[in-house]
Amino acid sequence: MAPLRTTKTGPSASSASRPGTVRKALGSLAAACFALAALAAPAQATILGPRASHSPNAHDIRVSYWVALVVAALLIVVIHAALIVALVRFRARRGRSPRRLGARPRAFVRPGIPLAAIALGLFVFGIVMASKTRDVRATATGGLGAQSDLVAQVEGLSIPPDAKPLNINVIGQRWLWRFEYPGGRPGNRTFSYGQLVVPVDTTVLLHITSTDVTHRWFVPALGGQVDAVPGHSAETWLQADRVGTYEGQTTSYSGTSYATMRAWVKVVSPKQYTRFIQQKQKQLAAAQNFVQKQVQKKAAPPEALP
Amino acid sequence: MTHPTPIAPARPEVVSERLPTRRQAWIERATSTDHKSVGLMYIATSLAFLAVAAAELVLIRVQLIVPENTDIRPEIFDRIISTFGVTAVVLFAIPLALGLIGYLTPLQIGSRGVAFPRLNLLSFWLYVGGAVAIYGSFLWRPSESGVAALPPLSEKVFSNTHGVDAWIVGTALAVLGFVCFAVNMVVTLHNGRAPGMAWRRVPLFSWAAGVASHLLLVIGPVMLAALTMLFIDRHYGGVFFNPGEGGAPLLYEHLAWFFFTGAYALVVIVAGGVISDLLPSFARKPLFSHRGAMGSLLAIGVLGPLAWMQNMYSAPMGAGFEVFAMLIALALAIPIGLLIFNWIATVWDGALHTRAAPLFALGAISAMTIGLAGELAWSVIPVGWQIDNTTAAQGSTIAVLVGGGVLGGFAALHYWFPKLNGRLMGEGLGKVALGSILVGLYVYELMSFFAGVKGQPVDIYKFYGGTGLDGYNLAASIAAFVIVVGIVLELVNAAYSFGNGVRAGHDPWGAATLEWFTPSPPPAHNFDVLVDVRSAEPLYDIRRAIEERTRAWRPRRSPGDDDLPAPREPVAAEASSAEGGAGAGGGGPGGGDAGGDGSSGASVA
Repeated sequence: MAPLRTTKTGPSASSASRPGTVRKALGSLAAACFALAALAAPAQATILGPRASHSPNAHDIRVSYWVALVVAALLIVVIHAALIVALVRFRARRGRSPRRLGARPRAFVRPGIPLAAIALGLFVFGIVMASKTRDVRATATGGLGAQSDLVAQVEGLSIPPDAKPLNINVIGQRWLWRFEYPGGRPGNRTFSYGQLVVPVDTTVLLHITSTDVTHRWFVPALGGQVDAVPGHSAETWLQADRVGTYEGQTTSYSGTSYATMRAWVKVVSPKQYTRFIQQKQKQLAAAQNFVQKQVQKKAAPPEALP
Repeated sequence: MTHPTPIAPARPEVVSERLPTRRQAWIERATSTDHKSVGLMYIATSLAFLAVAAAELVLIRVQLIVPENTDIRPEIFDRIISTFGVTAVVLFAIPLALGLIGYLTPLQIGSRGVAFPRLNLLSFWLYVGGAVAIYGSFLWRPSESGVAALPPLSEKVFSNTHGVDAWIVGTALAVLGFVCFAVNMVVTLHNGRAPGMAWRRVPLFSWAAGVASHLLLVIGPVMLAALTMLFIDRHYGGVFFNPGEGGAPLLYEHLAWFFFTGAYALVVIVAGGVISDLLPSFARKPLFSHRGAMGSLLAIGVLGPLAWMQNMYSAPMGAGFEVFAMLIALALAIPIGLLIFNWIATVWDGALHTRAAPLFALGAISAMTIGLAGELAWSVIPVGWQIDNTTAAQGSTIAVLVGGGVLGGFAALHYWFPKLNGRLMGEGLGKVALGSILVGLYVYELMSFFAGVKGQPVDIYKFYGGTGLDGYNLAASIAAFVIVVGIVLELVNAAYSFGNGVRAGHDPWGAATLEWFTPSPPPAHNFDVLVDVRSAEPLYDIRRAIEERTRAWRPRRSPGDDDLPAPREPVAAEASSAEGGAGAGGGGPGGGDAGGDGSSGASVA
């Protein structure tokens, strides 16, 4: 096994590319990408991005996503370009001699400046976008107005006083989502499983919790992920801008049938929503009557009931 | 207070030496406290678990190759993923790093052994015990509680099997072993360095070993605490994580993520140490900035585990915690970026010998760059709400773990294999394996990214057709198989070369660090002579000193140009510069640049 060796020495044609111009070019490239990302990004879903958003908070998440993606892609491209150039240009071959070149003290730290700028920029951007995502919008004109529910300020969201939100409890249990709609007595509220029905253009506050293990609420078109932790209520919101059905799936492992724990949000017009709730109430009342009759017919002594 | 009466030694001393009894080889191996033997066992065991993890990955990807596949039952799939995570991180990535550290660090710092050899051996057997506990549960019913066994799912109410107990005990034993290892290595590094080897002259792999060991001392006990609390919850009526009794499941999540994020940083740090030591040897020039790399590695070690809440943006915690996590995660971009810059600048203007080892190192840099850039993007809070726990986030994690753990580990194997047993690993097979792993990894990363941004969650045993995910998953599965083929090829390469590789000689790479100062494989006591270290490249100094003593004086040369004809008449063009200064490589680049290490130039002049 021959030791590594460079055979001959020769003139090393190291025309170090002018760092100033490179940096300027990179800077303007980055600025252009930022601008492009911020402007065009969430317009349509592409292969590189999440599906289209249909709620303001989901929209804010899309904007953040595209900017962060462009920054990451830029870093990957620049580093790989440098890697490939280094590998191709500075391979050991005849006439190449290594230069025992050490860093001058400052030279090493210099690339830290653009890196710090990137990190700082993303940091500020992230804080701004996170608080923007949490800013609950008031119910739009086409939405279901005049909710009787009081607006309670909840942790993590900033809710305007005129929000008129629809408060819906989202309860994760293995491996189903249960939705409790406002109205009715507590403990006897209208509910549905699997599919959440909400009116369009209406601000909906979701109070998310769980009855068994930790789940995670995630409907990509209508907002980000929120953990459903037992014994804790987490809040998020949505305001769907278009009628339709949006699919979501829990993203926190919860046991055997975790993969089947999906959820659908059906966005309907306010009129249809009201009809849906009335229908549900009727069905529930009928079911309760039926059960009551059955129980009376059997005339089971009360202590035999579970 | 009375002092014991000193007993005068009998003169002449009459002692009968007990003849060492020779035991069977496997007993010798299993009980040897030589750090090299322990290191070899660590490396071999971790590589075996790499094969196991690869097999599990194949099973996972077979199940996800088509939508709504029914090849593997859900509960079996859950057992596989619950074991896969702990196998990849706790049974493969960390022990491989520790094995390399345990073998090489004492050699690199010029020590005759480690500080606590028995503790070192104990750490290995604790790790093996942990592995046995985890895989022993396959005889009954292994854990189905997910990658990190998060409560309440792992509480007794929901997982009433002993598989979870085996998982907890196994993980805890292994982590306890790592903590013992770290104690030993920290003391060795602090006390065992050769004379003259100040911290600033410690080779970067050993420096990374130091950072990683201190890191383990911080994150290991945290995980042990979490596992102990979970065990108490399950069996002794504890309510630490039981929400019904006022416990907090989030607490476990914090503790476990602190450990796993730290372990992730550890893999990056050790891979960084490997690459920083390896590239100079093959580019034939010193690292661009030794101190800079030291600072970067240290910064990653400090900041890395502190970014743990980056994984918990969707959990109910105050907004301030999220901001803190994002700050740390983004700040990590600076040391990591500087480290990558350092590596590129090391190759720059060098003469890179494209053997398998540096190619693996460059592959590791590429893979880690992609994964860490992804992590950077996901650490912006709203992006995390979208990407966390989807295959896109998982893809980044896998890119970093495969880049650092597998590619970095294989780079280290190629580089130090001659040290371990005096033979070289197969170059051609190594390069084929590298190509296979890299291509597979790029495709896998891209496909899981595409699927993840469309919302495919991690850990699912099936995905639904008609959601646009079919193609991505098919391609990701094929890519995963390609990765596994590469890994298997490389493992075969290592196993075959261990007995049949080309004999390498003692110093095949002309490296500059002390581990090559001793025969390969090294004798039990490592060094016959301890050298006086004067710089970060002690072997380079020694070679030069020997040359200067044994031959007629000639211009100082780079370590690579052995066949350079010795003293020549200065060429007319260079004669104007100082005669010694232009000597680096004899008529190389301009005289001013060559004077990077000026002190020796002065002595020559």
